[in-house]
Amino acid sequence: MTALANPFRPAGSDRIDPVLVALWLVLIVVAALWIAPFLFIIFTSLKTNSTVMGASAFAPPTNPDWTNYAAAWTRGKFSTTVFNSAVITVVKVPLGLAISAMAAYVLSRIEFRGARAIFLLIVFGTMIPFQVLLAPLFTLVNGFGLINTKLGVILPYLAFGIPYQVFVLHGFFKELPRELSEAALIDGASHFSIFWRIFLPLSLPPLAALLILDFVATWNEFAMALVILQDNSTWTLPLGLMSFQSQFSRDYGQLNAAIVMTVLPATIVYMIFQRYFVSGLTAGAVKE
Amino acid sequence: MKFWRSAQPQGLLLLAPALIVYGVFALYPMLNVVVLSFMRWNGLTADKVFVGLSNYAGILALDPVFWTAFRNTAIWTVLSIVFPPLVGFALALGLDQKIPWRTPLRALFYMPVIIAPIAVATMWRWMYDPFFGLFNAVLTSLGLQGVIQDWLGDGAVALYSVFVASVWQTAGFSMVLFLAGLQSVSKALVEASRIDGANAWQTFWHVRTPALRPTITIVLILSTINSLKAFDIVYGMTGGGPAQATQMLALWAFTQSMQLGDFGRGSAISVVLLLITLAIVIPYLQWALRREERVR
Repeated sequence: MTALANPFRPAGSDRIDPVLVALWLVLIVVAALWIAPFLFIIFTSLKTNSTVMGASAFAPPTNPDWTNYAAAWTRGKFSTTVFNSAVITVVKVPLGLAISAMAAYVLSRIEFRGARAIFLLIVFGTMIPFQVLLAPLFTLVNGFGLINTKLGVILPYLAFGIPYQVFVLHGFFKELPRELSEAALIDGASHFSIFWRIFLPLSLPPLAALLILDFVATWNEFAMALVILQDNSTWTLPLGLMSFQSQFSRDYGQLNAAIVMTVLPATIVYMIFQRYFVSGLTAGAVKE
Repeated sequence: MKFWRSAQPQGLLLLAPALIVYGVFALYPMLNVVVLSFMRWNGLTADKVFVGLSNYAGILALDPVFWTAFRNTAIWTVLSIVFPPLVGFALALGLDQKIPWRTPLRALFYMPVIIAPIAVATMWRWMYDPFFGLFNAVLTSLGLQGVIQDWLGDGAVALYSVFVASVWQTAGFSMVLFLAGLQSVSKALVEASRIDGANAWQTFWHVRTPALRPTITIVLILSTINSLKAFDIVYGMTGGGPAQATQMLALWAFTQSMQLGDFGRGSAISVVLLLITLAIVIPYLQWALRREERVR
């Protein structure tokens, strides 16, 4: 956190603005409300069932009961779901970025008939709500015999990740100077090596932003996994949590421990790579 | 080898993986859902029967749940266009000022966005627990026992209870877009208006708001599209209940196909929702592309 020089003073003024101080206090109160659900979940995850039912709901746990975590881990089969989620994410995210970047390079740097039409067709995909297509996706994946397989979810995940990534990277590649690829082409370099040696190294910032956004999206995805991964040995974390909730909803401490364990990885990634989230989101949505 | 030295085949090779995966797993299901909506099919066996428009007739005329879902989706969409963007805008305005801790505060308000919607659903279901949940505990300790509700069990309030959780999850998204929009408003312009004697309110209304118009459009469109997608949070909190009081079109299409085994009707509902989405998206894309050309 960087300390702010001269807080509460509007630009060009030396006086403390009381309106800003009031605004700040309001924001602090709202922030406390915003964070309350997290605290409530963490507190409950450290309480025994009798404490949950006996004592005040927002009292911090006086003697934390860490056994909820171990119990929820075993009963919720977290070792299986974490493993499945991790494999799917680790395969899908880099692979998706690679094929999106390749496509974005072609669409921004190689001229051919139909390039514009293909670009529009892909960008159109950013707006398709896949939640509407769960049944035909099931039919399709079932047709390939891939129900209950990791590949069966990875392929649709790839398909629905491509549009936004191509859109953002296309915008970025187009801003790079034309001479960059032209000079290399004259020197006899192929498009493969221009893409690999020049464009990829230059586009690390947008790639990092997209990587983080896609990690979180893939880690959190629920609806497609729900129709494709039906056998509980293939479940991902969100499916495991949903099932935990329906089976053990009266084991309050364990249920909340399960919630904490489910959201923790994405939260940690968010805290470490915070600034990339903002740049990744605004790259697509807001052009200066 | 000569062939591969020219641009076209190299381009094709680089483009092919994305195009094939996208075509097969995103575009094809979208076309297939239209075909399926004219069939009677249980999704598993081979016997698909062409039934013309009878699935559409079925959902529009004979299925009261469809209209409940339609109405709920409409209410949800209107609420989603108004509240999360308003909250996000207010937060962005505040956090754009010179106040202490503004970076950690921004991070905090954005945090719910990155949490799995299904986890948000589970969290809020627990907070809404009628006996031991946070809400009723707070109301009791404030002496407001009269307001206590079975938040998710009472059909009259359930939809709004779910929506409050959705505001908590999505407001940070609008906030980030608005913050970026606010920061792109030229400092020189704001400065100049101040020197010309405009007060803070005039600067806000006449300089910053007009410059924010594209951001506002984008936030509203994205909020609309996201609201039509509402699935996880409803599925996780109420499953569409009680008595279909929180049923939504996307969820009802899923339920018809995957749980009731009627892929024809499920697909017909999907097509209706797709058409609504396209009616919003296509004009927006045209606007966005025109704007992109102008900027260039």
